[in-house]
Amino acid sequence: MYLSISIDVPARDGTAFAQLGRLADRVEGAAADFVLLARANDGGALEPGRLEAVVTLPWITRRLATPVVVAALPALHSVPFHIARALSAADFLTGGRAGWMPLLGGGARFDAAYGDVYHLPSADAVAKHDDFIRATRALWDSWDQDALIIDKASGAYLDSAKVRRVDYRGPFFKTMGPLNAARPPQGHPLLVRDLDDVAGSAIPADVVLGGVDQVAGGDARGAVRLLKTTAATVAQAEALVREGRAEGLHLMGADAIDLLEALRLRHARRSAPGATARARLGLDMPANPYSKKVTA
Amino acid sequence: MSRENGRLHLWAFLQGIGFFPGGWRDAKATPGAVFHRAYYERVARMVEDARFDAIVFGDQLQGRDAAGRTPGRLAIPTLDPFTLLSVMAGVTSRVGLVATVSTTYNEPAEVAAKFAALNFVSEGRAGWNIVTTAHPNSAWNFGEPELLEKSARYIRAQAFVDAADAFWRAAAGSPMATAEALRNQWFQIDGTLDFPTSPQYRPVLVQAGQSPDGRHFAAKSAEAIFCPAPTIDAGRAFRDDIHERARALGRDPTKMLIMPGLAFILGDTEEEAQRKHRHMLELADDQLCIEYLSESIGFDLTRLPADKPFPLDEICATCEFPPADVRRMLTPAVEAGQTIAEACRDYARKPRGHAIFVGTAEQMADRMETWIDAGACDGFTLQPGFMPSELELFCAHVAPLLQARGLLRREYQGPTLRDHLGCDFQA
Repeated sequence: MYLSISIDVPARDGTAFAQLGRLADRVEGAAADFVLLARANDGGALEPGRLEAVVTLPWITRRLATPVVVAALPALHSVPFHIARALSAADFLTGGRAGWMPLLGGGARFDAAYGDVYHLPSADAVAKHDDFIRATRALWDSWDQDALIIDKASGAYLDSAKVRRVDYRGPFFKTMGPLNAARPPQGHPLLVRDLDDVAGSAIPADVVLGGVDQVAGGDARGAVRLLKTTAATVAQAEALVREGRAEGLHLMGADAIDLLEALRLRHARRSAPGATARARLGLDMPANPYSKKVTA
Repeated sequence: MSRENGRLHLWAFLQGIGFFPGGWRDAKATPGAVFHRAYYERVARMVEDARFDAIVFGDQLQGRDAAGRTPGRLAIPTLDPFTLLSVMAGVTSRVGLVATVSTTYNEPAEVAAKFAALNFVSEGRAGWNIVTTAHPNSAWNFGEPELLEKSARYIRAQAFVDAADAFWRAAAGSPMATAEALRNQWFQIDGTLDFPTSPQYRPVLVQAGQSPDGRHFAAKSAEAIFCPAPTIDAGRAFRDDIHERARALGRDPTKMLIMPGLAFILGDTEEEAQRKHRHMLELADDQLCIEYLSESIGFDLTRLPADKPFPLDEICATCEFPPADVRRMLTPAVEAGQTIAEACRDYARKPRGHAIFVGTAEQMADRMETWIDAGACDGFTLQPGFMPSELELFCAHVAPLLQARGLLRREYQGPTLRDHLGCDFQA
């Protein structure tokens, strides 16, 4: 049974730094399988946290030395080139255990802060979310996985034939590439989705969070399924995992960390630290449609 | 500036494998290590132990190709600076962490949030090297056909910094920013974000512009300024000019540091250092040098015969950089009768116009002291000839000499990057 938790910093609290460090140490001690750098809104849907997650992830993965760590980010306000570049580095420096969770949640907050040009009819939100993911992945695919050679004797650093402009043109994003960063160790960092946040995406996620009905539906196809649960519902949720209706739990609520520690006493960690996130979950490396060697 | 804080400031400008494009091929180089956390953790600790003010990473927003061909012999990529600095924050407690970020292809909200996070995880050690992005291919990665014109980029940069500052002030609980900072020609912002504040409330602002627009912007906003300065006179002229501009803008010119770039190769003897320098240059073979210049003009010179001169008209017809600039840059080589290989070798020998020191630790300390005493600068932005061994040599042999001479601090005088500048900068 996979165990997942989200962490963020408290609002307007002078001890936030120390608190975040202590929380991270407890989460590491309890051997969480997934840690989402995110917060939940009043309705239980996830939103980007107070602390910008893409910059926080490289720092916190020193303390969170074993779980898959996932950066929540605003899908409608982020730039594919910046995200692809940063998460390439994050995936290398975590040995391939970085994930990303592009979210629609918190959109009004980000609309106000990013400015008028980001306001979008809500009917277009999922389409822009999908386009954002496609554009970012196209940039990761601007490099073949084996483009780097790094042979001092011959002076060959990389194979120029394995890096190319992708000239991605979607309805919302255009980007030329190549990315100035190599394809991440996982090919694409793990894509995590909260089904309370976005439903009806045309892009399958690698890991989905939701209620039992949500993870039984088409939005969860092919994904590792995590049931969102609090202390009040955890017994039922554990039973559902035993029945094979999900692969793990995402723990919510103010006492989620206590719940994580209690559950870990009953369930040995399922994922093997050391391997990339995809290898731990038994997920294939994503194919690269731009690679000349691609086999259908 | 307090005596204990030293009167010579050191910043470490680090790029993956070092200053020389062929350096990754050296026997001691570890080009594979730059993809691993342990490398950055080790380097960060070394720089902090030597009592540098800060570590700086540059950044680019263009694909590293020329006309669609990515160089095969240059050590690229360099990794995302925020990511590297965030890793480094985890193993240090004093050294400053400076990320290069463009104001042209970002939004103030995003940049403010990212620096707030870096400042948070480092407890007040973040710095922002503010750039406006000059490489023409960058625009294509952001869905735009061409770069904003240069002076417009600097006008946007000033508005961008003002808007970002409003976010940081709001997080720190300061009175709400003026409406003009958030709603103007460039931005239409209705609210700030609820990220946490940290010591020094916002990153130290750093700038590197050389043009009149860039110098004006630096004199108005920057707390530290990078520049190339090949000679003492050039350094003094630059510093005097910035001070003059700062005074005219009502700023106290002693409250900013001028930090010219200095690449270096160290040896136990001068002869050994010279030998290492020659070796560095030899490691950059003709093919690498041709790729290196190709990237700087946006034209794939590898397709041309290396033993013939530049076909200027052919190059200028399709190069991705402005043809007039490229023509001006290549014409001297054509007039001197150089082949493409010869001209490219010359170009790769002095990367980016920075001063290159080659000699012993004692000579390097002497040179730095002379520059400081002459008023040519407030310190140096050091670029190790290659990484990590030249940086190790500097930290082991030059930093202790500077400390013994009372130029470099022995202990940090405070926890934040702004403390290290010793400028008592008041925003």
